[in-house]
Amino acid sequence: MAARAVPGARPQQRPAAPRPPLMTRWRRTLKRYGTAYLFILPAVLAMLLVHYIPMVNGILVAFKDVNLFTVSSWTDAPWVGLDNFKEGFDPNGRIGARFWRSLWNVTFFGAVTIAAGYVIGMAVALLLQRPFPGRSFVRGLILLPYITPDSVAYSVWRFIFQARIGLVNKWLMALGIIDEPAIWLVGANSIYAVMVAAIWKGWPFAALILQAGLQGIPQEVYEASLIDGASRWQRFRYVTLPMLAPVTRTLIIISILWNYNAFNQFYVMLGKDPGVAADVPSTLILRETFTAFHFGVGSAMSLAVMAVMLIFTAFYVRALRRQAMEEM
Amino acid sequence: MAQSMAKRTAAGSGMRRRARWRKAAGTGLFYAAVALVLVTVLIPYLWMVSGSFKSSVELQAADVTRPGMEPSWIPRQFTLDNYRNVNRTVPIMDYFVHSLIISGGTMVCATLLAFFAAYALSRFRFPGRNVYIAAVLSTQMLPGILFVIPYFILFTWINHRFGIQLRDTYPGMILTYTSFALPFSIVMLRSFLDAIPTELDEQAAIDGASRVRTLFSVIFPLARPGLVSVGIYSFIMGWNEILFASVLTGRRTKTVAIGLLEYITAHEARWTMMMAASIIVSIPVVVLFTLMQRYIVSGLVAGATKG
Repeated sequence: MAARAVPGARPQQRPAAPRPPLMTRWRRTLKRYGTAYLFILPAVLAMLLVHYIPMVNGILVAFKDVNLFTVSSWTDAPWVGLDNFKEGFDPNGRIGARFWRSLWNVTFFGAVTIAAGYVIGMAVALLLQRPFPGRSFVRGLILLPYITPDSVAYSVWRFIFQARIGLVNKWLMALGIIDEPAIWLVGANSIYAVMVAAIWKGWPFAALILQAGLQGIPQEVYEASLIDGASRWQRFRYVTLPMLAPVTRTLIIISILWNYNAFNQFYVMLGKDPGVAADVPSTLILRETFTAFHFGVGSAMSLAVMAVMLIFTAFYVRALRRQAMEEM
Repeated sequence: MAQSMAKRTAAGSGMRRRARWRKAAGTGLFYAAVALVLVTVLIPYLWMVSGSFKSSVELQAADVTRPGMEPSWIPRQFTLDNYRNVNRTVPIMDYFVHSLIISGGTMVCATLLAFFAAYALSRFRFPGRNVYIAAVLSTQMLPGILFVIPYFILFTWINHRFGIQLRDTYPGMILTYTSFALPFSIVMLRSFLDAIPTELDEQAAIDGASRVRTLFSVIFPLARPGLVSVGIYSFIMGWNEILFASVLTGRRTKTVAIGLLEYITAHEARWTMMMAASIIVSIPVVVLFTLMQRYIVSGLVAGATKG
């Protein structure tokens, strides 16, 4: 085929020459690129075993009745069609009702934490644009929440939100906002307590990314807007924000994708069962699977979470492509 | 004339004074804002440190409703007992060792595998390359909860079929975390290797070095910053992971990330010891990150802004 494109380049190969047999082609490729394949092989194997094979199995398990007794030879478990999906998504059923509620919870949780994280991150990134002695030290210090292990950070927040010995109630009582110590980690309040902790842990990442984005804005644009007499707010609104749009897009979509995975903050602060008001898909699925041993229902629900994430991933890929176009 | 001149300069100096005052106020406000940010960041840490030096008796007696008994910032009875007895109720030091082995193993395996794969991606245009890159990137998008169920089932099946137990073993956990760390590590290392000129490879080939020899004696030293940051990233990943650890580890391999939660049980809440353990658990991560902050941050930023 290459010979036809460049006539005379390979005189031994006539334009009409038959393609070599499949095995020969394979052998040629292997001979040429064998080293490359050998190099990626271990990584491919590891990811096959941990990612791709389980992913395919997960789809199959969602259509089977896999329980504690059939799990060791799950391939022999009976097919049950869409039963697992019916049980997982029936809004009137016990599990289904919890599932839809958990999907709402995680969406609400994400909307608040991502928006707040972005606003705070942006404010701090702008604040630290101004040079002052000790700036790089401050920039390093604000990363602390981001690098602290989740289990440590959320354990400390769980301690802070304790009713009788917690810092939050101590302050709210001292300020006279409440008379009785509030119960933060059980019932309707619990999702807000987790939100506060998650915002505290999440904004430094936004600040870090936005800082990098701000550094990428050429100084001339600001100088031009100054000559045009733009006020500080106008400079932010019409220069900084549009210039940060690509970074913002990526940051928000990545945050949304991570958010649907949210597990650590709920598991550490509220335990295996965070209660109806703060249950999220990950905690619900984990419980249904490893406490009630409904492997099939758990798989069906996790497929639904994946579907939600795939939609956002499609947005992400489109945003990336648009960004690449803009850069060209 | 002279009078008006004096007036004007007086007015000018007044304006200048006001401008200077405004500037000073602005600077004051600016530093106040920076201080507010720092306080917000640091409060939980200070509360953690303060809690770790309190006696459990003091904390149990504390009550926000009783004046004079509120939990205090400065421990009323300063004690080191929590650090001394940190291992007594929860074998956190065993978990610490488990975590060191698992995270260390992950660090070595992930760095090595990512190095090979990134080298292949950087130096060869082999058929299937783009498919492979897409496959690597897409795994980052998929939820952990999607894998944990079939992964658990796969481990059970392997045990049933071949008699190889992977659950609650070091190799099983290292394999799991290595695979989690690979996508980001491959992407990051590839950009490092792309920056190393291919002329060096060719020079080594002319000198008669084999591919593997080139890889280890020419490329490896040059890619060291990238390798170190990938290694530290993998280590921290293994140290912090909770979801898979809660399902796949047992008595023999339990990691600090979930072991820490054992201080609070249905019967007893050992907050003061938990705070002491929290500090101990954070040390490796904070030290490693601080040492390598520059590399990791630039890698993270590149990963998020360039996709």
